[in-house]
Amino acid sequence: MNEQTTYNALVVGAGISGIRAALDLAQENRRVLIVDKRPAMGGILSQLDFQFPSNHCGMCKMLPLVRRDQGSQFCLRKGLFHENIDLVLSAELSGLSGEPGNFAVKIHEKPTWVDPDRCVGCGLCETVCPETVPDDFNRGLSTHKAIYLPVPHAIPNPYVIDLAACTRCGACADICPTGAVMLSTAERQNFHILVVDDELSVRDSLKEWLTEEGFSAHMAASGEEALEKLKTRPCQLMLTDIKMPEMSGTALLHEAKKAYPNLCVVMMTAYATVETAVEAMKTGAADYLIKPFQPDTLIPMVIRLYQDIEAAHDRELTVEALILATGTGFYHPADEKNIFGYGIFPNVVTNLEFERIISHTGPHGGGLKRLDNGRPIQKIAWIQCVGSRDIQNNADFCSTICCMAAVKEAVLTKTLAAGRSAEASTSQSTGHSTEQATGQVETVIFYMDMRAWGKSFQRYVDNAITEHQVRFERCRVHSLSQTKDTRELEVAFLADDGSRRTALFDMVVLSVGQRPADQTESLSKICDLPLTPAGFFETLPFAGSRTPREGIVAAGSAAGLKDISESVMLASAAAREAGQIIHTKTISEKRPAQTTEDTETPLYRDVSREPVRLFIGICTCGTRLSACIQPDALTQWFSLDPEIVKISFVDQVCTASGWEKLAREISGTRANRVLIAACHPYVFIKKITRLARTLGIAPDLMDVADIMGPVFRAAAQAPETLSAFAAEVFSTLNQGAERLKQADPTAPDQVPVCQRALVIGAGIAGMTAALALADAGHEVDLIEKTHQPGGNLNWLDQTLEGASLADFLQKTLDRIQKQPRITVHTTTRLIACKGLAGQFHSTIEICPETGAETKQVRDLEHGAIIVATGGHEAPTTSFCHGTHPAVITQKTLEIRLRNQEITPEQAGTVVMILCVDSRQEPRNYCSRVCCPTALKQARRLQDLNPDAAIYVLYRDMMTVGFSETYFTRARGDNVMFMAYDPKAPPRVSAETDTPVVTLKEPVLNQPVEISADLVVLATGMVPDLPHDLARVLGIDKDNDGFFQEAESKWRPLDALKEGIFACGTVLSPRSAAEAADTGRAAATRAIRLLSAPAIASDKTVAVVRHSLCSLCERCIDACPYGARTLNSDHTRILVNTLMCQGCGACAAVCPNDASILPGLSARQMLETVDAVFEQLEPDRM
Amino acid sequence: MKNTHARQPLKSVRNMVQACIQCGTCTGSCPNAFAMDHTPRQLWQMLLNDRPRDAITSKTFILCSSCYYCTLRCPRGLPLTDAMAALTRLAKTENPGGFKKSQAFFHQFLESVRRHGRVNESELMTLFFMEAKDPVLPFAYANLGIKFLRKNKIRLPFVKQKPSRGLDKIFEKVRELETHS
Repeated sequence: MNEQTTYNALVVGAGISGIRAALDLAQENRRVLIVDKRPAMGGILSQLDFQFPSNHCGMCKMLPLVRRDQGSQFCLRKGLFHENIDLVLSAELSGLSGEPGNFAVKIHEKPTWVDPDRCVGCGLCETVCPETVPDDFNRGLSTHKAIYLPVPHAIPNPYVIDLAACTRCGACADICPTGAVMLSTAERQNFHILVVDDELSVRDSLKEWLTEEGFSAHMAASGEEALEKLKTRPCQLMLTDIKMPEMSGTALLHEAKKAYPNLCVVMMTAYATVETAVEAMKTGAADYLIKPFQPDTLIPMVIRLYQDIEAAHDRELTVEALILATGTGFYHPADEKNIFGYGIFPNVVTNLEFERIISHTGPHGGGLKRLDNGRPIQKIAWIQCVGSRDIQNNADFCSTICCMAAVKEAVLTKTLAAGRSAEASTSQSTGHSTEQATGQVETVIFYMDMRAWGKSFQRYVDNAITEHQVRFERCRVHSLSQTKDTRELEVAFLADDGSRRTALFDMVVLSVGQRPADQTESLSKICDLPLTPAGFFETLPFAGSRTPREGIVAAGSAAGLKDISESVMLASAAAREAGQIIHTKTISEKRPAQTTEDTETPLYRDVSREPVRLFIGICTCGTRLSACIQPDALTQWFSLDPEIVKISFVDQVCTASGWEKLAREISGTRANRVLIAACHPYVFIKKITRLARTLGIAPDLMDVADIMGPVFRAAAQAPETLSAFAAEVFSTLNQGAERLKQADPTAPDQVPVCQRALVIGAGIAGMTAALALADAGHEVDLIEKTHQPGGNLNWLDQTLEGASLADFLQKTLDRIQKQPRITVHTTTRLIACKGLAGQFHSTIEICPETGAETKQVRDLEHGAIIVATGGHEAPTTSFCHGTHPAVITQKTLEIRLRNQEITPEQAGTVVMILCVDSRQEPRNYCSRVCCPTALKQARRLQDLNPDAAIYVLYRDMMTVGFSETYFTRARGDNVMFMAYDPKAPPRVSAETDTPVVTLKEPVLNQPVEISADLVVLATGMVPDLPHDLARVLGIDKDNDGFFQEAESKWRPLDALKEGIFACGTVLSPRSAAEAADTGRAAATRAIRLLSAPAIASDKTVAVVRHSLCSLCERCIDACPYGARTLNSDHTRILVNTLMCQGCGACAAVCPNDASILPGLSARQMLETVDAVFEQLEPDRM
Repeated sequence: MKNTHARQPLKSVRNMVQACIQCGTCTGSCPNAFAMDHTPRQLWQMLLNDRPRDAITSKTFILCSSCYYCTLRCPRGLPLTDAMAALTRLAKTENPGGFKKSQAFFHQFLESVRRHGRVNESELMTLFFMEAKDPVLPFAYANLGIKFLRKNKIRLPFVKQKPSRGLDKIFEKVRELETHS
């Protein structure tokens, strides 16, 4: 399918991170190849139906918003189609050499034995397959056949064969209507296997089994004989006994491997020598078999090796950069101690299994049922931190995602149950007999710290408690037991009041922690990358996606413990790192930066002034079409239509020869529109794009009508019912023809783009974004309201890990200074901004002295804006701050530590109070940085005064991810942690010289009084996004004044208004290193727009018929993308063609029909509807 | 509350549980928690919160049956059963007061074991009452004693038991180890 051998970038992993990074690069007009070892794309997200906070999916929001026509606007869970992206599934990276900008990579493709280009997903094979295996997609909760769909919803969705389960009975190959199944065993004859054993009986039985499977088997009675045989006939696989009289199997292995390094060897051994076999595997054996064995164990192993050796082939490619987006793995709860009886008690499931249970494509169709007896679930519990935050499980980290996932699942359970009870009550009221009304479900989450660390998380948790009555119990559950009779699960736990209680549940969901993905280790060896102690790819400090090896970047949770939005951000940052390497390479080779975009001659000829000339090509699919409908009848009908120039029938359009024949037929006519009637349209997407280029017809004037669905179904029906199927085929064809006849042939406009950018705020995020933009060749204006760039890094001292932030700042400032494309404007404000994505006109005001007369005003032009105005520590008057000098904030302490203004005596007894005014209304969000800061400062105070008594009063320790390690360390280092209840917060009295802190200690339920030398308040972070600025830019602020992103998960950096992006702490609180990553990611989002001097607007873009427009401005309010404005003299409605997404809201709301979508006209729609109901006359069929 | 971090013999026990995050796993899994005056979690918190007196006078550690559930499941991998044992030892040497009776009981229990290789119940109780020096105490146990006698659970004092040999050495070794620890 893909003959191309050079790509700009290779992305390993087709999960959301991989997709995001690939789409980012593809939109910069880079050629990207994605490989994934699974037979379907989408990664873990294909298994999750709902994400919080919206409780919907929403992956499609990652799709391109400009140059939409390059790809398909289609559900991303189903498929990814972009003309710059190739996707290879069931493939792995198997080798890498070379240097950044010129990597030679090997891709190991595993055959699925079904030709994806020919499989139409009709499902006939599945009905005849006799073998059943557990379904991996549903986490083993259901089964599928040996030939199966890897995911239920992908498009195209070719079947694949599970070769371990397949018996090669051939039933599927016989029934397949398109001949897509390639289950031939003929080539096995060429696979030679040498069996070496001193026992004749073993040799004989092996020979019999292997010959039966179609392999060529050869025998040798000793090691010497085997070596002789290998000389005369090369073999691919050798099965050898270990214990043989003369030459042992191990010795044979050494000899044979020396002479034939590619020979695959399997050791056969009795129990007594298993260790020898394991040793042998270390010296080159592929596997071992324990005697006595059955064909059931031997044959699948041989077949697996056969595939690996013979059938799989390696593709060799050249790429400039490599992005590892291999995602995450999960802790397996049955490993090691299995204290929760996973796999033993039927109703104990992992959170992923639960996601499948509540999914509509899951085994129960979304029903809340117990797995053992199918009864409705009444009581369900979540157990958090299974395999996380557990040193005994080698997991000194927090898995970051499970708290919110559990809360989401609990809320969904409640919602599903509410729907269930509503259904039950309606069916009762209508008098139908029903199962007993299921009512409410009791949901309990057992947790240690509720880590609601993200932007809207805390409110989501609060809402779960108040609105959905999800119960939270703060206790780690030690184990589970099951009652004998009802098989309910018993949980013993510690209630809030300290008493020990037990509760029974129908189902228990284990929130299993994250682990490195399976292939991480092998990839680290292939790519020579170091791993962190937890086993994730190691990245550099202050660059969360850059690995120590240049040219290789990690995106998403491959670099460790990310949720969706963080993965998406980091993927964009990774795309920037990779894009930088590609850009450098492009510059050094003096290649033209753009390949297709700015070519002077248009790709497609202008057909807008030509009469419609439609060509119809119909696939006959052997004799199947004629069995259903008479081709002559179709020819007669369509030849009556003068707009149809030709109708031709081609056999097997899906094959290369069929396609070529079709292309010849079309080029013989002067057609300007092409309809292909064949199978699934998505099989043809790439082919059509290529054909469009050669024919010079725009791809949107070519279409595929799927007529084979009814044809295949008709094949199994009685002849007298055929007319219904024939009518369906005709109707589909007629519709397709009508739609194309009415299609709008005008070529899209080109929108000029000013390739400069404006970055507002010169903190670390803004500077990193500016550098990334400048390094990619764009001029950047960086404006800063204060005298000095650097933002919060001007006072921050160290990171939690101990890296110096001052050094980081200095390095960044040096780079800014040396970068000629960045112009820094200090003491500057943005006072006006007009225009739309691609062409902004801004006015800045520079006033070096406040209040002085030296104000300067300048105009700037740019195509994109990045908002990086940052945030600052929240001021407070709580806990006597401001009235007692010993009560200070974290910032003050940080500054004093940096300036060494703290004496050991001052650090005698220090009380740190966390969550001051935070995580409660009105500032109901977690600032995420304060808990790690407290740990960091505690350590530094202890360094200063080893006898320091440090008390940390906290609500939930938000040490997400790997910062958990520092929490563990601080606990061990004598720092005292006391949780407090927000309803009874600690109190500080300032009447004495030293402030006295009192609180009720919740574990002992006793009052505690601490006389402190220093009280440090963690007040959290508030954003610096002035109302004026937001108004000037036309962007929104969220409840708490942070930048309102277009979508919290899928477009976390974009404003709803296209062309404006944000990074750093103005998005949400985050650490300096994370802020820098968002800077790179925001630059990627901007470069997507800026990479070409002009962008072709998309086909489906709304226009205004000004003569009909009454200027009621309803469309301006209706437009969800802010693409519409009133011009300056209030005479016209303007549409920004880049921002318009063609949703049609304006057309629907317009009272005069003045706002229309040219690609989707009413006339086209009505004619198409008419075509559906037209009928061929019966006698013609 | 004053900073008394680096104080007294309890410090070694405190160090054992220093990294405790009060997750409650130990208490949830403790089969004897129902009988304890403080849950294990509270005991650790007392140690961490510098309430040594509360910790050493608690009955919690005495009731530990060394099932090792808590040690096996502690997410921080803390040696909790060992900490319980250490507290028991400390309670004997520190003798915080108010535990005359239980001290006497344990003393005589071990003495009985040392002498006979097992407990001689009537001898144990007689010597226990004598050491406790409480004239009313025997009456408190009278009912229980009669029940045991009826079920033939008490060996009468006149039944001769073989004196044990070799146990002295074990006791000697334990004493040696305890003084070192």
